[in-house]
Amino acid sequence: MGPSLTVEEIRHAFPHGGAQFGPVSGDAWPGRRIGLIGPNGAGKSTLLRLMSGYLKPTGGAIRIDGVPMGRLSAAERARLVAVVPQSLGVQVDLTVEEVVALGRLSHLTWRERVSLAASPRTAAVEAALELTATAPLRRRSFSSLSGGEAQRVLLAMALAQDAPILLLDEPTAHLDPGHARRFLGLVESLAQERGKTVVMAHHDLSTVGLFTDALWLLAGGRLRAAGPSEAVLASPELGAVYGTEFMTVRHPRTGRTMLLYA
Amino acid sequence: MFAASVAVLGVSVLAALLHGPTAIPWVRVLGVLLHPGRGLTSTIVWQIRMPRVMAALLCGGSLAVAGAVMQALLRNPLADPYVIGASAGAGLGATVGQIFFAALDAVAPGAFIGAMAAVFLAFGLARGQGRLRMLTLILSGYAVGVILAAATTFLMLLHQDSLARIFAFEVGGLSGIAWSRLALPGIFMPLAFAIVLPLLPEMDALLLGEEQAFHVGARMRGVEVLLILAASLLTASAVYLGGLIGFVGLVVPHAVRRLVGAGHRRLIPLVFLVGATFLVLADAIAERVPWLGNIPVGLVTAFLGGPYFLYLLSRQGRFSSEVV
Repeated sequence: MGPSLTVEEIRHAFPHGGAQFGPVSGDAWPGRRIGLIGPNGAGKSTLLRLMSGYLKPTGGAIRIDGVPMGRLSAAERARLVAVVPQSLGVQVDLTVEEVVALGRLSHLTWRERVSLAASPRTAAVEAALELTATAPLRRRSFSSLSGGEAQRVLLAMALAQDAPILLLDEPTAHLDPGHARRFLGLVESLAQERGKTVVMAHHDLSTVGLFTDALWLLAGGRLRAAGPSEAVLASPELGAVYGTEFMTVRHPRTGRTMLLYA
Repeated sequence: MFAASVAVLGVSVLAALLHGPTAIPWVRVLGVLLHPGRGLTSTIVWQIRMPRVMAALLCGGSLAVAGAVMQALLRNPLADPYVIGASAGAGLGATVGQIFFAALDAVAPGAFIGAMAAVFLAFGLARGQGRLRMLTLILSGYAVGVILAAATTFLMLLHQDSLARIFAFEVGGLSGIAWSRLALPGIFMPLAFAIVLPLLPEMDALLLGEEQAFHVGARMRGVEVLLILAASLLTASAVYLGGLIGFVGLVVPHAVRRLVGAGHRRLIPLVFLVGATFLVLADAIAERVPWLGNIPVGLVTAFLGGPYFLYLLSRQGRFSSEVV
Protein backbone atom coordinates (compact mmCIF):
# COMPACT_ATOMS: atom_id res chain seq x y z
CA MET A 1 0.00 0.00 0.00
CA GLY A 2 1.28 3.47 -0.84
CA PRO A 3 1.82 6.19 1.72
CA SER A 4 -0.97 8.29 3.17
CA LEU A 5 -0.96 12.08 3.06
CA THR A 6 -2.01 13.78 6.26
CA VAL A 7 -2.91 17.44 6.48
CA GLU A 8 -2.56 18.53 10.08
CA GLU A 9 -3.97 21.87 11.20
CA ILE A 10 -2.18 23.48 8.31
CA ARG A 11 -2.08 27.28 8.04
CA HIS A 12 -0.55 29.66 5.62
CA ALA A 13 -0.38 33.42 5.97
CA PHE A 14 0.35 35.26 2.74
CA PRO A 15 2.85 38.09 3.11
CA HIS A 16 1.79 41.74 3.00
CA GLY A 17 -1.31 41.11 5.09
CA GLY A 18 -3.07 39.02 2.43
CA ALA A 19 -5.65 36.33 3.02
CA GLN A 20 -5.12 33.71 5.68
CA PHE A 21 -5.40 30.06 4.80
CA GLY A 22 -6.45 27.40 7.27
CA PRO A 23 -6.39 25.79 9.66
CA VAL A 24 -7.32 22.77 7.55
CA SER A 25 -6.99 19.11 8.46
CA GLY A 26 -7.71 15.91 6.58
CA ASP A 27 -6.35 12.66 5.23
CA ALA A 28 -5.80 11.27 1.77
CA TRP A 29 -5.40 7.54 1.22
CA PRO A 30 -3.97 5.32 -1.48
CA GLY A 31 -6.44 4.30 -4.16
CA ARG A 32 -8.80 7.17 -3.39
CA ARG A 33 -9.41 10.35 -5.30
CA ILE A 34 -10.10 13.44 -3.26
CA GLY A 35 -11.64 16.37 -5.07
CA LEU A 36 -11.05 19.92 -3.86
CA ILE A 37 -13.99 22.19 -4.62
CA GLY A 38 -14.89 25.70 -3.66
CA PRO A 39 -15.45 29.09 -5.24
CA ASN A 40 -12.62 31.14 -6.75
CA GLY A 41 -10.15 32.18 -4.09
CA ALA A 42 -11.31 29.45 -1.70
CA GLY A 43 -7.75 28.17 -1.29
CA LYS A 44 -7.75 25.07 -3.51
CA SER A 45 -4.47 25.95 -5.23
CA THR A 46 -2.97 27.10 -1.94
CA LEU A 47 -3.79 23.77 -0.34
CA LEU A 48 -2.27 21.88 -3.28
CA ARG A 49 0.86 24.02 -3.08
CA LEU A 50 1.14 23.31 0.63
CA MET A 51 0.67 19.59 -0.05
CA SER A 52 3.40 19.65 -2.70
CA GLY A 53 5.80 21.51 -0.40
CA TYR A 54 6.03 24.49 -2.74
CA LEU A 55 4.52 26.74 -0.07
CA LYS A 56 5.83 26.46 3.46
CA PRO A 57 3.10 26.31 6.08
CA THR A 58 3.19 28.96 8.79
CA GLY A 59 1.56 26.48 11.14
CA GLY A 60 0.71 22.79 11.23
CA ALA A 61 2.28 20.20 8.95
CA ILE A 62 1.82 18.00 5.93
CA ARG A 63 2.93 14.47 6.72
CA ILE A 64 3.61 11.63 4.35
CA ASP A 65 3.34 8.38 6.29
CA GLY A 66 4.01 10.42 9.39
CA VAL A 67 7.12 12.22 8.08
CA PRO A 68 6.75 16.00 7.89
CA MET A 69 7.12 17.34 4.37
CA GLY A 70 9.72 19.90 5.48
CA ARG A 71 12.10 17.14 6.49
CA LEU A 72 12.33 15.60 3.02
CA SER A 73 15.06 16.50 0.55
CA ALA A 74 14.01 17.81 -2.87
CA ALA A 75 14.63 14.42 -4.48
CA GLU A 76 12.88 12.46 -1.72
CA ARG A 77 9.88 14.72 -1.97
CA ALA A 78 9.71 14.46 -5.76
CA ARG A 79 9.79 10.67 -5.56
CA LEU A 80 6.74 10.79 -3.28
CA VAL A 81 4.65 13.66 -4.66
CA ALA A 82 4.08 14.54 -8.31
CA VAL A 83 2.09 17.54 -9.53
CA VAL A 84 0.07 18.00 -12.71
CA PRO A 85 -0.52 21.74 -13.22
CA GLN A 86 -3.36 23.25 -15.18
CA SER A 87 -0.77 24.47 -17.67
CA LEU A 88 2.86 25.53 -17.47
CA GLY A 89 2.17 29.17 -18.27
CA VAL A 90 5.43 29.42 -20.20
CA GLN A 91 6.42 28.49 -23.72
CA VAL A 92 8.47 25.28 -23.57
CA ASP A 93 10.52 24.44 -26.64
CA LEU A 94 11.48 20.96 -25.45
CA THR A 95 10.23 17.85 -27.20
CA VAL A 96 7.48 15.79 -25.57
CA GLU A 97 10.01 13.11 -24.79
CA GLU A 98 12.31 15.59 -23.07
CA VAL A 99 9.45 17.00 -21.00
CA VAL A 100 8.37 13.53 -19.85
CA ALA A 101 11.99 12.61 -19.12
CA LEU A 102 12.16 15.57 -16.71
CA GLY A 103 9.86 13.53 -14.49
CA ARG A 104 12.91 11.34 -13.88
CA LEU A 105 15.03 14.21 -12.52
CA SER A 106 14.85 13.00 -8.93
CA HIS A 107 15.76 9.45 -9.99
CA LEU A 108 18.80 10.27 -12.13
CA THR A 109 21.99 8.43 -11.33
CA TRP A 110 25.27 10.31 -11.57
CA ARG A 111 26.03 8.54 -14.84
CA GLU A 112 22.69 9.46 -16.39
CA ARG A 113 23.25 13.02 -15.23
CA VAL A 114 26.53 13.57 -17.05
CA SER A 115 25.45 11.63 -20.13
CA LEU A 116 24.94 13.83 -23.16
CA ALA A 117 22.61 11.31 -24.87
CA ALA A 118 19.81 13.53 -26.09
CA SER A 119 16.82 11.50 -24.93
CA PRO A 120 17.32 9.08 -22.09
CA ARG A 121 14.87 6.29 -22.95
CA THR A 122 14.19 4.75 -19.61
CA ALA A 123 11.48 2.19 -18.93
CA ALA A 124 9.60 4.65 -16.72
CA VAL A 125 9.49 7.28 -19.48
CA GLU A 126 8.33 4.74 -22.05
CA ALA A 127 5.64 3.41 -19.71
CA ALA A 128 4.39 6.92 -19.01
CA LEU A 129 4.24 7.77 -22.73
CA GLU A 130 2.43 4.49 -23.39
CA LEU A 131 -0.12 4.88 -20.61
CA THR A 132 -1.08 8.42 -21.58
CA ALA A 133 -1.09 7.60 -25.32
CA THR A 134 1.50 10.31 -25.93
CA ALA A 135 4.15 8.03 -27.45
CA PRO A 136 3.23 9.11 -31.02
CA LEU A 137 3.91 12.74 -29.99
CA ARG A 138 7.37 12.08 -28.60
CA ARG A 139 9.30 14.10 -31.19
CA ARG A 140 6.86 16.99 -31.27
CA SER A 141 7.72 20.28 -29.62
CA PHE A 142 5.72 20.67 -26.40
CA SER A 143 4.75 24.21 -27.39
CA SER A 144 3.08 22.92 -30.58
CA LEU A 145 0.62 20.64 -28.75
CA SER A 146 -3.13 21.17 -28.37
CA GLY A 147 -4.54 21.66 -24.86
CA GLY A 148 -5.63 18.03 -24.54
CA GLU A 149 -2.27 16.70 -25.74
CA ALA A 150 -0.30 19.03 -23.49
CA GLN A 151 -2.34 17.96 -20.46
CA ARG A 152 -1.67 14.29 -21.19
CA VAL A 153 2.05 15.03 -21.54
CA LEU A 154 2.07 16.81 -18.17
CA LEU A 155 0.37 13.75 -16.67
CA ALA A 156 2.99 11.55 -18.35
CA MET A 157 5.74 13.67 -16.78
CA ALA A 158 4.13 13.21 -13.36
CA LEU A 159 3.80 9.45 -13.98
CA ALA A 160 7.44 9.17 -15.02
CA GLN A 161 8.19 10.64 -11.60
CA ASP A 162 6.84 7.36 -10.21
CA ALA A 163 5.42 9.05 -7.13
CA PRO A 164 2.60 7.39 -5.17
CA ILE A 165 0.90 10.73 -4.49
CA LEU A 166 -0.53 12.66 -7.41
CA LEU A 167 -1.72 16.26 -7.05
CA LEU A 168 -3.69 17.80 -9.90
CA ASP A 169 -4.68 21.45 -10.13
CA GLU A 170 -7.81 21.73 -12.29
CA PRO A 171 -6.21 19.53 -14.92
CA THR A 172 -9.25 19.59 -17.23
CA ALA A 173 -10.10 23.29 -16.97
CA HIS A 174 -9.06 23.94 -20.58
CA LEU A 175 -10.20 20.65 -22.08
CA ASP A 176 -13.34 19.87 -24.06
CA PRO A 177 -15.71 17.26 -22.55
CA GLY A 178 -14.31 14.37 -24.56
CA HIS A 179 -10.69 15.04 -23.63
CA ALA A 180 -11.68 15.86 -20.05
CA ARG A 181 -13.53 12.58 -19.64
CA ARG A 182 -10.70 10.49 -21.06
CA PHE A 183 -8.16 12.31 -18.90
CA LEU A 184 -10.20 11.80 -15.72
CA GLY A 185 -10.81 8.17 -16.67
CA LEU A 186 -7.06 7.74 -16.78
CA VAL A 187 -6.74 9.31 -13.34
CA GLU A 188 -9.40 6.90 -12.08
CA SER A 189 -7.49 3.88 -13.32
CA LEU A 190 -4.29 5.24 -11.75
CA ALA A 191 -6.02 5.38 -8.38
CA GLN A 192 -7.88 2.10 -8.63
CA GLU A 193 -5.34 -0.07 -10.41
CA ARG A 194 -2.08 1.45 -9.23
CA GLY A 195 -3.16 2.61 -5.81
CA LYS A 196 -2.16 6.25 -6.37
CA THR A 197 -3.25 8.75 -3.77
CA VAL A 198 -4.98 11.43 -5.82
CA VAL A 199 -5.87 14.97 -4.74
CA MET A 200 -7.42 17.02 -7.49
CA ALA A 201 -8.85 20.51 -7.59
CA HIS A 202 -11.87 20.41 -9.86
CA HIS A 203 -13.78 23.31 -11.31
CA ASP A 204 -16.85 21.58 -12.70
CA LEU A 205 -19.31 20.92 -9.89
CA SER A 206 -21.84 19.11 -12.03
CA THR A 207 -19.43 16.29 -12.92
CA VAL A 208 -17.07 16.28 -9.94
CA GLY A 209 -19.05 13.47 -8.28
CA LEU A 210 -18.36 11.19 -11.25
CA PHE A 211 -14.60 11.46 -10.95
CA THR A 212 -13.90 11.57 -7.20
CA ASP A 213 -14.41 9.36 -4.18
CA ALA A 214 -14.40 12.10 -1.57
CA LEU A 215 -14.67 15.86 -1.61
CA TRP A 216 -13.25 18.67 0.47
CA LEU A 217 -15.29 21.83 0.20
CA LEU A 218 -13.17 24.92 0.80
CA ALA A 219 -14.26 28.52 1.21
CA GLY A 220 -12.31 31.51 2.46
CA GLY A 221 -9.31 29.34 3.26
CA ARG A 222 -11.33 27.05 5.54
CA LEU A 223 -12.63 23.52 5.15
CA ARG A 224 -16.44 23.81 5.16
CA ALA A 225 -17.36 20.19 4.48
CA ALA A 226 -15.56 16.93 3.83
CA GLY A 227 -16.65 13.39 3.20
CA PRO A 228 -17.81 11.00 0.50
CA SER A 229 -18.59 12.87 -2.70
CA GLU A 230 -22.33 12.18 -2.66
CA ALA A 231 -22.61 13.42 0.93
CA VAL A 232 -20.75 16.67 0.31
CA LEU A 233 -22.70 17.32 -2.89
CA ALA A 234 -25.95 16.87 -0.98
CA SER A 235 -24.93 18.98 2.01
CA PRO A 236 -26.57 22.36 2.54
CA GLU A 237 -23.07 23.89 3.02
CA LEU A 238 -22.52 23.67 -0.72
CA GLY A 239 -25.36 26.02 -1.62
CA ALA A 240 -24.36 28.35 1.20
CA VAL A 241 -20.74 28.55 0.03
CA TYR A 242 -21.64 29.25 -3.59
CA GLY A 243 -24.63 31.43 -2.79
CA THR A 244 -26.99 29.47 -5.00
CA GLU A 245 -29.12 26.35 -4.68
CA PHE A 246 -28.28 22.96 -6.06
CA MET A 247 -30.00 19.60 -6.32
CA THR A 248 -28.43 16.19 -6.82
CA VAL A 249 -29.41 13.47 -9.27
CA ARG A 250 -28.08 9.98 -9.72
CA HIS A 251 -26.42 9.12 -12.95
CA PRO A 252 -28.81 6.61 -14.57
CA ARG A 253 -26.02 4.23 -15.57
CA THR A 254 -23.31 4.51 -12.90
CA GLY A 255 -25.47 5.54 -9.98
CA ARG A 256 -22.98 8.30 -9.05
CA THR A 257 -24.13 11.69 -7.85
CA MET A 258 -24.28 14.64 -10.20
CA LEU A 259 -25.16 18.21 -9.36
CA LEU A 260 -27.73 20.45 -11.01
CA TYR A 261 -28.91 23.98 -10.33
CA ALA A 262 -32.08 23.77 -8.27
CA MET B 1 25.51 17.46 -35.90
CA PHE B 2 28.08 17.21 -33.13
CA ALA B 3 30.71 15.54 -35.32
CA ALA B 4 30.08 18.05 -38.10
CA SER B 5 30.54 20.94 -35.69
CA VAL B 6 33.81 19.51 -34.41
CA ALA B 7 34.99 19.19 -38.01
CA VAL B 8 33.97 22.76 -38.86
CA LEU B 9 35.81 24.02 -35.78
CA GLY B 10 38.90 22.05 -36.80
CA VAL B 11 38.85 23.51 -40.29
CA SER B 12 38.34 27.02 -38.89
CA VAL B 13 41.30 26.64 -36.54
CA LEU B 14 43.45 25.48 -39.42
CA ALA B 15 42.27 28.33 -41.62
CA ALA B 16 43.03 30.83 -38.86
CA LEU B 17 46.53 29.39 -38.44
CA LEU B 18 47.22 29.73 -42.13
CA HIS B 19 46.29 33.34 -42.05
CA GLY B 20 48.15 36.26 -40.53
CA PRO B 21 49.83 39.58 -41.16
CA THR B 22 53.05 37.83 -42.14
CA ALA B 23 52.53 35.98 -45.42
CA ILE B 24 53.75 32.41 -45.03
CA PRO B 25 52.99 29.77 -47.69
CA TRP B 26 50.41 27.29 -46.40
CA VAL B 27 52.68 24.33 -47.09
CA ARG B 28 55.25 25.71 -44.68
CA VAL B 29 52.60 26.39 -42.01
CA LEU B 30 51.39 22.81 -42.29
CA GLY B 31 54.99 21.66 -42.19
CA VAL B 32 55.81 23.36 -38.89
CA LEU B 33 52.44 22.29 -37.46
CA LEU B 34 53.43 18.68 -38.02
CA HIS B 35 57.11 19.15 -37.19
CA PRO B 36 57.70 22.07 -34.84
CA GLY B 37 61.21 23.41 -35.20
CA ARG B 38 63.28 26.37 -34.11
CA GLY B 39 62.92 28.54 -37.16
CA LEU B 40 61.09 31.83 -37.50
CA THR B 41 58.08 30.21 -39.19
CA SER B 42 57.69 27.77 -36.35
CA THR B 43 57.90 30.57 -33.80
CA ILE B 44 55.25 32.59 -35.63
CA VAL B 45 52.88 29.64 -35.94
CA TRP B 46 53.38 28.13 -32.49
CA GLN B 47 54.10 31.19 -30.34
CA ILE B 48 52.05 33.90 -32.03
CA ARG B 49 49.26 32.43 -34.11
CA MET B 50 48.44 29.32 -32.08
CA PRO B 51 47.92 31.00 -28.67
CA ARG B 52 45.76 33.64 -30.31
CA VAL B 53 43.61 31.05 -32.10
CA MET B 54 43.29 28.98 -28.93
CA ALA B 55 42.34 32.09 -26.97
CA ALA B 56 39.66 32.88 -29.56
CA LEU B 57 38.40 29.31 -29.40
CA LEU B 58 38.16 29.26 -25.60
CA CYS B 59 36.77 32.78 -25.39
CA GLY B 60 34.07 32.15 -27.98
CA GLY B 61 33.04 28.79 -26.56
CA SER B 62 33.00 30.08 -22.99
CA LEU B 63 31.06 33.25 -23.75
CA ALA B 64 28.49 31.29 -25.74
CA VAL B 65 28.00 28.72 -22.99
CA ALA B 66 27.88 31.42 -20.33
CA GLY B 67 25.17 33.15 -22.38
CA ALA B 68 23.14 29.96 -22.70
CA VAL B 69 23.44 29.35 -18.96
CA MET B 70 22.31 32.89 -18.13
CA GLN B 71 19.40 32.63 -20.55
CA ALA B 72 18.27 29.39 -18.90
CA LEU B 73 18.83 30.64 -15.38
CA LEU B 74 17.17 34.02 -15.82
CA ARG B 75 14.51 32.56 -18.13
CA ASN B 76 15.14 35.54 -20.31
CA PRO B 77 16.13 35.30 -23.97
CA LEU B 78 17.87 38.67 -23.82
CA ALA B 79 20.29 37.55 -21.14
CA ASP B 80 23.96 37.41 -22.09
CA PRO B 81 27.12 36.66 -20.10
CA TYR B 82 27.38 40.27 -18.96
CA VAL B 83 23.76 40.78 -17.94
CA ILE B 84 24.19 40.80 -14.17
CA GLY B 85 27.09 43.19 -13.89
CA ALA B 86 30.10 41.22 -15.15
CA SER B 87 30.99 43.72 -17.88
CA ALA B 88 30.88 46.76 -15.62
CA GLY B 89 32.81 44.87 -12.94
CA ALA B 90 35.42 43.82 -15.48
CA GLY B 91 35.65 47.40 -16.74
CA LEU B 92 36.24 48.77 -13.27
CA GLY B 93 38.68 45.99 -12.42
CA ALA B 94 40.66 46.64 -15.60
CA THR B 95 40.67 50.37 -14.95
CA VAL B 96 41.88 49.94 -11.39
CA GLY B 97 44.49 47.49 -12.62
CA GLN B 98 45.71 49.90 -15.27
CA ILE B 99 45.77 52.98 -13.06
CA PHE B 100 46.96 51.66 -9.72
CA PHE B 101 48.85 48.50 -10.60
CA ALA B 102 50.32 49.43 -13.97
CA ALA B 103 53.70 47.99 -13.01
CA LEU B 104 52.11 44.57 -12.55
CA ASP B 105 50.36 44.60 -15.94
CA ALA B 106 47.17 44.10 -14.01
CA VAL B 107 44.49 44.93 -16.59
CA ALA B 108 43.51 41.33 -17.30
CA PRO B 109 43.69 40.04 -13.72
CA GLY B 110 41.82 43.14 -12.58
CA ALA B 111 39.10 42.41 -15.13
CA PHE B 112 38.80 38.83 -13.95
CA ILE B 113 38.47 39.81 -10.31
CA GLY B 114 36.13 42.71 -11.11
CA ALA B 115 33.78 40.52 -13.16
CA MET B 116 33.53 37.87 -10.44
CA ALA B 117 33.11 40.44 -7.68
CA ALA B 118 30.38 42.35 -9.51
CA VAL B 119 28.32 39.24 -10.20
CA PHE B 120 28.52 38.10 -6.61
CA LEU B 121 27.72 41.59 -5.35
CA ALA B 122 24.60 41.66 -7.55
CA PHE B 123 23.73 38.13 -6.46
CA GLY B 124 24.19 38.89 -2.78
CA LEU B 125 22.09 42.04 -3.02
CA ALA B 126 19.32 40.28 -4.94
CA ARG B 127 19.25 37.40 -2.54
CA GLY B 128 18.86 39.52 0.57
CA GLN B 129 16.60 37.24 2.51
CA GLY B 130 14.42 34.44 1.29
CA ARG B 131 13.93 32.99 -2.16
CA LEU B 132 15.99 34.49 -4.96
CA ARG B 133 13.84 36.01 -7.68
CA MET B 134 15.35 36.13 -11.11
CA LEU B 135 13.81 39.46 -12.00
CA THR B 136 15.33 40.92 -8.83
CA LEU B 137 18.69 39.52 -9.88
CA ILE B 138 18.45 41.17 -13.31
CA LEU B 139 17.52 44.50 -11.72
CA SER B 140 20.20 44.36 -9.05
CA GLY B 141 22.76 43.36 -11.69
CA TYR B 142 21.69 46.36 -13.72
CA ALA B 143 22.00 48.69 -10.73
CA VAL B 144 25.40 47.32 -9.77
CA GLY B 145 26.46 47.74 -13.39
CA VAL B 146 25.40 51.37 -13.50
CA ILE B 147 27.24 52.19 -10.29
CA LEU B 148 30.45 50.41 -11.30
CA ALA B 149 30.38 51.95 -14.77
CA ALA B 150 30.06 55.38 -13.18
CA ALA B 151 33.02 54.63 -10.93
CA THR B 152 35.00 53.53 -13.99
CA THR B 153 34.18 56.71 -15.88
CA PHE B 154 35.16 58.77 -12.85
CA LEU B 155 38.53 57.03 -12.58
CA MET B 156 39.12 57.41 -16.30
CA LEU B 157 38.45 61.15 -16.08
CA LEU B 158 41.01 61.45 -13.29
CA HIS B 159 43.61 59.46 -15.20
CA GLN B 160 43.18 60.39 -18.83
CA ASP B 161 46.59 59.03 -19.74
CA SER B 162 45.15 55.51 -19.25
CA LEU B 163 42.17 56.07 -21.52
CA ALA B 164 43.54 54.36 -24.61
CA ARG B 165 44.47 51.14 -22.87
CA ILE B 166 41.15 50.91 -21.03
CA PHE B 167 39.20 51.72 -24.15
CA ALA B 168 41.03 48.97 -26.04
CA PHE B 169 40.08 46.55 -23.29
CA GLU B 170 36.43 47.55 -23.39
CA VAL B 171 36.14 46.99 -27.13
CA GLY B 172 37.61 43.53 -26.79
CA GLY B 173 40.55 42.13 -28.70
CA LEU B 174 42.84 39.14 -28.82
CA SER B 175 45.99 40.45 -30.45
CA GLY B 176 49.31 39.78 -28.84
CA ILE B 177 48.18 36.94 -26.60
CA ALA B 178 50.94 34.63 -25.38
CA TRP B 179 50.59 31.10 -24.06
CA SER B 180 51.07 32.31 -20.50
CA ARG B 181 47.75 34.16 -20.69
CA LEU B 182 45.96 30.86 -21.22
CA ALA B 183 47.04 29.40 -17.88
CA LEU B 184 44.33 30.89 -15.70
CA PRO B 185 41.46 30.25 -18.14
CA GLY B 186 42.93 26.78 -18.59
CA ILE B 187 42.05 26.11 -14.97
CA PHE B 188 38.78 27.98 -14.56
CA MET B 189 37.10 27.14 -17.85
CA PRO B 190 37.26 23.35 -17.39
CA LEU B 191 36.15 23.82 -13.79
CA ALA B 192 33.11 25.77 -14.97
CA PHE B 193 32.24 23.16 -17.59
CA ALA B 194 32.55 20.47 -14.92
CA ILE B 195 29.99 22.39 -12.85
CA VAL B 196 27.58 22.88 -15.77
CA LEU B 197 27.66 19.34 -17.16
CA PRO B 198 25.84 17.50 -14.34
CA LEU B 199 23.31 20.34 -14.08
CA LEU B 200 22.06 20.11 -17.67
CA PRO B 201 18.87 18.25 -16.55
CA GLU B 202 18.16 21.05 -14.07
CA MET B 203 18.61 23.63 -16.82
CA ASP B 204 15.93 21.77 -18.79
CA ALA B 205 13.72 21.74 -15.70
CA LEU B 206 14.09 25.53 -15.44
CA LEU B 207 12.38 25.78 -18.82
CA LEU B 208 9.21 24.42 -17.24
CA GLY B 209 9.01 27.46 -14.99
CA GLU B 210 10.16 27.74 -11.41
CA GLU B 211 7.15 26.01 -9.83
CA GLN B 212 7.15 22.88 -11.98
CA ALA B 213 10.95 22.67 -11.72
CA PHE B 214 10.43 22.52 -7.95
CA HIS B 215 7.83 19.76 -8.34
CA VAL B 216 10.09 17.46 -10.36
CA GLY B 217 12.69 17.82 -7.62
CA ALA B 218 15.21 20.38 -8.89
CA ARG B 219 17.19 21.78 -5.95
CA MET B 220 16.65 25.32 -7.08
CA ARG B 221 18.77 27.19 -4.60
CA GLY B 222 21.94 25.18 -4.96
CA VAL B 223 21.49 24.95 -8.71
CA GLU B 224 21.15 28.70 -9.08
CA VAL B 225 24.28 29.41 -7.08
CA LEU B 226 26.31 26.83 -8.99
CA LEU B 227 25.13 28.00 -12.39
CA ILE B 228 25.87 31.64 -11.56
CA LEU B 229 29.31 30.60 -10.33
CA ALA B 230 30.00 28.61 -13.50
CA ALA B 231 28.71 31.32 -15.84
CA SER B 232 30.73 34.01 -14.11
CA LEU B 233 33.91 31.89 -14.11
CA LEU B 234 33.46 31.43 -17.86
CA THR B 235 32.71 35.11 -18.43
CA ALA B 236 35.54 36.35 -16.22
CA SER B 237 38.00 33.97 -17.89
CA ALA B 238 36.90 35.11 -21.33
CA VAL B 239 37.20 38.74 -20.28
CA TYR B 240 40.65 38.00 -18.89
CA LEU B 241 41.66 36.74 -22.32
CA GLY B 242 39.95 39.13 -24.67
CA GLY B 243 38.29 42.03 -22.89
CA LEU B 244 34.61 42.71 -23.43
CA ILE B 245 33.73 40.84 -26.60
CA GLY B 246 30.03 41.31 -27.24
CA PHE B 247 27.23 39.46 -29.00
CA VAL B 248 28.78 35.97 -29.00
CA GLY B 249 27.03 35.05 -25.76
CA LEU B 250 23.71 36.46 -26.93
CA VAL B 251 23.55 35.36 -30.56
CA VAL B 252 25.14 31.91 -30.58
CA PRO B 253 22.73 30.24 -28.11
CA HIS B 254 19.78 31.61 -30.08
CA ALA B 255 21.12 30.40 -33.39
CA VAL B 256 21.91 26.92 -32.07
CA ARG B 257 18.56 26.65 -30.29
CA ARG B 258 16.88 27.15 -33.65
CA LEU B 259 18.81 24.19 -35.00
CA VAL B 260 18.52 21.64 -32.21
CA GLY B 261 15.79 22.87 -29.87
CA ALA B 262 16.08 23.99 -26.28
CA GLY B 263 17.11 20.68 -24.64
CA HIS B 264 20.40 21.49 -22.93
CA ARG B 265 22.09 18.13 -23.39
CA ARG B 266 22.21 18.79 -27.11
CA LEU B 267 22.33 22.57 -26.88
CA ILE B 268 25.30 23.21 -24.59
CA PRO B 269 28.00 21.15 -26.39
CA LEU B 270 26.96 22.62 -29.73
CA VAL B 271 26.80 26.13 -28.31
CA PHE B 272 30.41 25.73 -27.20
CA LEU B 273 31.54 24.47 -30.61
CA VAL B 274 29.63 27.09 -32.60
CA GLY B 275 30.73 29.91 -30.28
CA ALA B 276 34.33 28.75 -30.57
CA THR B 277 34.14 28.53 -34.36
CA PHE B 278 32.46 31.91 -34.60
CA LEU B 279 35.12 33.70 -32.60
CA VAL B 280 38.04 31.91 -34.29
CA LEU B 281 36.71 33.07 -37.67
CA ALA B 282 35.77 36.54 -36.42
CA ASP B 283 39.27 36.96 -35.03
CA ALA B 284 40.84 35.80 -38.28
CA ILE B 285 38.85 38.55 -40.00
CA ALA B 286 39.74 41.09 -37.31
CA GLU B 287 43.41 40.32 -37.69
CA ARG B 288 43.59 41.44 -41.28
CA VAL B 289 40.80 43.71 -42.39
CA PRO B 290 41.42 45.18 -45.88
CA TRP B 291 42.83 48.72 -45.64
CA LEU B 292 42.57 48.82 -41.84
CA GLY B 293 44.78 45.95 -40.76
CA ASN B 294 44.18 44.69 -37.23
CA ILE B 295 40.88 45.81 -35.64
CA PRO B 296 39.43 44.63 -32.30
CA VAL B 297 37.51 41.37 -32.66
CA GLY B 298 34.71 42.86 -30.57
CA LEU B 299 33.88 45.13 -33.48
CA VAL B 300 33.72 42.19 -35.87
CA THR B 301 31.41 40.19 -33.60
CA ALA B 302 29.15 43.22 -33.24
CA PHE B 303 29.04 43.83 -36.99
CA LEU B 304 28.38 40.16 -37.74
CA GLY B 305 26.32 39.28 -34.67
CA GLY B 306 24.04 42.30 -34.53
CA PRO B 307 22.51 41.98 -38.00
CA TYR B 308 22.30 38.19 -37.67
CA PHE B 309 20.40 38.58 -34.42
CA LEU B 310 17.96 40.96 -36.10
CA TYR B 311 17.57 38.44 -38.92
CA LEU B 312 16.75 35.69 -36.38
CA LEU B 313 14.16 37.91 -34.76
CA SER B 314 12.49 38.76 -38.05
CA ARG B 315 12.40 35.08 -39.07
CA GLN B 316 10.97 34.05 -35.78
CA GLY B 317 8.48 36.88 -35.45
CA ARG B 318 8.80 36.64 -31.70
CA PHE B 319 11.25 35.66 -28.98
CA SER B 320 11.73 31.95 -28.48
CA SER B 321 10.42 32.00 -24.96
CA GLU B 322 8.69 34.18 -22.47
CA VAL B 323 10.19 37.60 -21.85
CA VAL B 324 10.35 38.49 -18.18
